[in-house]
Amino acid sequence: MRFGPLVFLSAFFALSLSWCGLVLTPQIQLGRAVQETNSVAKSDLYPQERPGLARQGLQVYRANGCAYCHSQQVQQNGTLVDVVLTDAGKNSNTLAEAVNASLHTNFNAVGLAGGLPKPLLRETTMEEASSLTAVIKKAGGNSEMHLDPTGPDIERSWGKRRTVAQDFLYDSPVMPGSQRVGPDLANVGLRLPDLNWQLIHLYAPRAQVQGSPMPRYPFLFEKRKIGSELSADALHLPQEFAPADGYEIVPKPEAKALVAYLLSLRADTPLYEAPLTPPPARPAATNAPATNAPAK
Amino acid sequence: MSSPANQPAANAPAENAETQSPAVPVWLIIVLFLLLYWGAVYFDEHGGWFEPQVYTPYASAEQVKAFQVSGGPNPFDDGFKIYNRPTCSQCHQPNGLGQPGQFPPLAGSDLVNEKDPGRVIRIVLQGIQGPGLVINGKPFNTGSAMVPWASVLNDEEIANVLTYVRGNKEWGNNAPAVTPDQVHAIRAKVAAHPLPFSPDEIMQISPSD
Repeated sequence: MRFGPLVFLSAFFALSLSWCGLVLTPQIQLGRAVQETNSVAKSDLYPQERPGLARQGLQVYRANGCAYCHSQQVQQNGTLVDVVLTDAGKNSNTLAEAVNASLHTNFNAVGLAGGLPKPLLRETTMEEASSLTAVIKKAGGNSEMHLDPTGPDIERSWGKRRTVAQDFLYDSPVMPGSQRVGPDLANVGLRLPDLNWQLIHLYAPRAQVQGSPMPRYPFLFEKRKIGSELSADALHLPQEFAPADGYEIVPKPEAKALVAYLLSLRADTPLYEAPLTPPPARPAATNAPATNAPAK
Repeated sequence: MSSPANQPAANAPAENAETQSPAVPVWLIIVLFLLLYWGAVYFDEHGGWFEPQVYTPYASAEQVKAFQVSGGPNPFDDGFKIYNRPTCSQCHQPNGLGQPGQFPPLAGSDLVNEKDPGRVIRIVLQGIQGPGLVINGKPFNTGSAMVPWASVLNDEEIANVLTYVRGNKEWGNNAPAVTPDQVHAIRAKVAAHPLPFSPDEIMQISPSD
């Protein structure tokens, strides 16, 4: 081999280049991630370690290959900003003039100062919002900015904000997934918080979601003869999926762990790298079935 | 990116020396350089320069910073972060209850809740060690000393962490906030004092001093 050393060196160079790009750089970037306290709205530590049962559930999730059809990565295209007037200041006439000049609106002083907090700008860019905030501040008022992440995933209500590395800090192995045969699960604990719904959905997906392509996981459940009375955690299945008379379907520990893991999936905390303004009061969670329908 | 692709091709002239034709056409080199240039520009605009906190909708660290709209630092929230860095929470626990007999509680402590913060600022700055510390009537033999934080935390950080501890209503504390100016003044006064304070010394100092 005439060019043996040269071939070796080029191969070594090519491999080490990809090692630097795929292993070393991510390690330098994210390898030292720790719990964060710099969330935008309140000083929570994030992320919290999942409860023990949920950590077992992660292994069930892994063993059953859930990640082959479900991703846990919410994408975000941008962030829109609302400007809300919270304090009209001492001289609301000056403020009204300044806001009208800046927005080409027609507020009068009384209308602007009444009914605070008052949204002044909706779904605008950061630049416009900052300039309006500066105008308000100069006129002696006070305002807040509300951040709304946007993107198809967020319109489908799959998440509140984009998924970041921080969300997976305590998971081993991480299960970000890449295929979306089923809906994204990054926020499933917030979206579908009903334990029984989740259990029935695992036993018979089509009992909960019409035409769901998800396979059944009956081996996570036990079919038992009913003793003196129905077990406390027996599933209440619709007629079509119910077992024969005198039998009941009871979740095995694996099913309970998996559901505990699913319910622990909720990435809605505002973070420095993924800022958002959480809604003031969370509307009552509904268990509407998640669909794969394209976002509007 | 271009180098590994280039390498085998660049060796070729030596093998095909007799054919005399250039192994790598000039246009290919130009295309490769254009690709490299495009890649560098793309990285500059979208890559965030390897900042760990820059993710796709945002292109640079400045942009991420522009979206932080919590409205100026809140001393109480900032104090929470400092407390759990972990600094204070190591011994006094995240719930401020400490360890009986060893680390005094901050929650509901009479010393912490003094109206004037002179003593607590001194303790945080210089540390405290020795027997005779009594908190809420219970003795603490601080054989394990509280370490001085004067060289670790700046005036603002000490003021914020004390504001968090003293104003923490969840812990049953309700003392006025501490300002960086107060810490600055006391830092100048205690600079000459040898580390650490003993409980007797602390109790002799007037809280408003």
